[in-house]
Amino acid sequence: MKILVVAERKGAELRRVSLEAAARAKDLGAATVVEITGERYSPLAFTSALAKRVEADKADLVILGATLNGRDLGARLAARLGRAYAADVTSLETSGDHLEVTRPMYAGKVRARLRVPLPAVVTIRPGAVPLKATAAPAVEEIPADAAAEKLEFVKFAEVASSGKRVSLADARVVVSGGRGLRGPENWHLVEQLADALGGAVGASRAVTDAGWRPNEEQVGQTGKTVTPDLYVALGISGAIQHLAGMTSSKVIVAVNKDPDADIFKIADYGVVADVFEFVPAFTEAVRKVKAAS
Amino acid sequence: MKILIPLKQVPDSTVRVKVAPDGKQIATEGVTWSISPYDEYAIEMALERKDADPSTIVAVVTVGPARSRDALRQALAMGCDEASLILADEPVAPLAVARALAKIVAEAKPDLVLCGKQASDDDQGFVGPALAEALGWPHVATITKFVPQAGAAELWREVEGGHEVWKAALPALATVHKSEKEPRYPSLPGIMKAKKKEIPERAFGSLGIDATAPLLEVLSMEPPPARGGGKILKDGDAATTAQRLATLLRDEAKVL
Repeated sequence: MKILVVAERKGAELRRVSLEAAARAKDLGAATVVEITGERYSPLAFTSALAKRVEADKADLVILGATLNGRDLGARLAARLGRAYAADVTSLETSGDHLEVTRPMYAGKVRARLRVPLPAVVTIRPGAVPLKATAAPAVEEIPADAAAEKLEFVKFAEVASSGKRVSLADARVVVSGGRGLRGPENWHLVEQLADALGGAVGASRAVTDAGWRPNEEQVGQTGKTVTPDLYVALGISGAIQHLAGMTSSKVIVAVNKDPDADIFKIADYGVVADVFEFVPAFTEAVRKVKAAS
Repeated sequence: MKILIPLKQVPDSTVRVKVAPDGKQIATEGVTWSISPYDEYAIEMALERKDADPSTIVAVVTVGPARSRDALRQALAMGCDEASLILADEPVAPLAVARALAKIVAEAKPDLVLCGKQASDDDQGFVGPALAEALGWPHVATITKFVPQAGAAELWREVEGGHEVWKAALPALATVHKSEKEPRYPSLPGIMKAKKKEIPERAFGSLGIDATAPLLEVLSMEPPPARGGGKILKDGDAATTAQRLATLLRDEAKVL
C-alpha cells in the first residue's frame, strides 16, 4: 500500500504527532513523508499542492496529524479527491481493501471502530501511536500552490499570555485550573506547578467563560481535547463537558476540597485538599523529586 | 448581508451517551436533542452581526431526520430569520450532505456561510470544508470572530499564541470555533415568533444530487475504557501528602 504522510513543524522541529504518523505509516506500507512549505497554512494553497502530489503518487492513504491545521487540510483534501475521511483516529490498521480505525465520537463519550474504504485520508490523534526512539524520517518538501490562493493574510494578532510554555496540543503534561482557584489573580499557582512539571496550562470552561483565562486554554467538549501522560486538575469539579476533553489522559491527578466532586471518579490520584494549601507544597515536592532523579 | 448556517441536531452535551444493544449505534431512547454546540456558536456569531446591523438576514438549514425540525425551531427562537429542512431519514454520506448544502447555498445566495467546526456526534469536521470545496469557495477554519468589510470579511482564527487574521472576498465560508459571547437563550417573544414561522421541507431525494460517496461503516461502538478506582489521599498535612503524591507519580505511575 502506498502511503503519503503529511508532516508539520512547530518552529524548526517536526511535531511529535508527525513522527508518530510516520512511524505508523512505515509499519503499514510504503511510506513517503512530505511537508508542504509556505509562509503559513492556508487551505486552498496547501490542498492544491497536496492533491496534485497524492494523485501523481497514486497514494492509497494519506495520513496527517490531527492538529488544528492537519484536520482542516485533511478534510478539504478528502473532499477534493472524493475520498473517505476519518478524523482524529486513535488506531489504524489495514485489512484488505479497507482500513479499520478506532476514533472517539460523541465528544469522547463513545469509542467507535469503523471500516474506512480505500483510498482514504486519515488524521491521527497526537499521542495515539507509541513512539519508539527512532531517527527522524526523511522529509520531502512540497511548495504550497500560491496560484490557488484566494485568501489574503492580514496580520497575526499575538496573545501576550502564552509565553514560552509548551502548547496544550503538544504537551505531555497539562495542569488545568477551575473555579476553585477563585480568580485570575491566583493563576500563578497553576503556572508554577505547570512549570515545575514542564507542562502546559489549561482551564475549565467556567474559567474561560468568566474571562479569567483566554479561550485557547479551555479543555473540554467545546475547547481542546488533550491526551497527555499526566493531567492535573486543580479546583475542577469535573462537569461531563470537561471530562470529555481530558478523560483519555494516561494518568489523571485531581485536587479538590469537595470529596464528592465528580472529577475523583475518573482520577488515578485524588487529593481532597484546599488547592491554596496543597498546590504550593506539591509544586515544591515535584521540584525536589525531579531534582533528585 | 445574508448569513447561512448549516446546522446539525445532536444529543445534548449534558446527555450521558450510551451504546445501543446492537453495539453499532447510540441508544436514542430518552435522549435530549440540541443544536450542536459549535453550530450554536455560529448562530450566536451571526446574531451578534444582526444586533449590530438589523438588515442582516440569518438563515439556518439542516439535512436530517424529522426530529431536526426542533433544532431549526430553536434557532428561529434564538433570533434567526429563516429555516429550512432537507429531510433525510437515513444517514447521508458527508460528501453528499456537502453537495446538498451546496445546492441550497446556490439557491439562497448568502454572502457568508458559517458552519460549526464539527458536529459533536461524529466529531469529524468534514462537512464545512467539504461544502466550501463543493462550492469552489475559499474557507477559513475555526474562527472566533468576523468583521464585515466592503465586499469582504476579516476572519479571525485562533491558533497557538494568538489569532491569524485573514481577509476573504465574499461569498466565503468559515467554520466556527467560538463566538465572542456565549450563545443566547431564546426569549419568550422569540419562542412565540418562532412558533408561527413556517419551516419549508424538501426530501433529500428530491434535490437531484449525486448521493454516491464513501461512507464509513460502524463495526462496533463501546464506552471509553472505564476509569476510577484511583487512590484518594486525604489525611495528613499538605507537605506530607504532596511528597507522597510526587513519589507515587514517579515510582508507581512513572510520569515524573
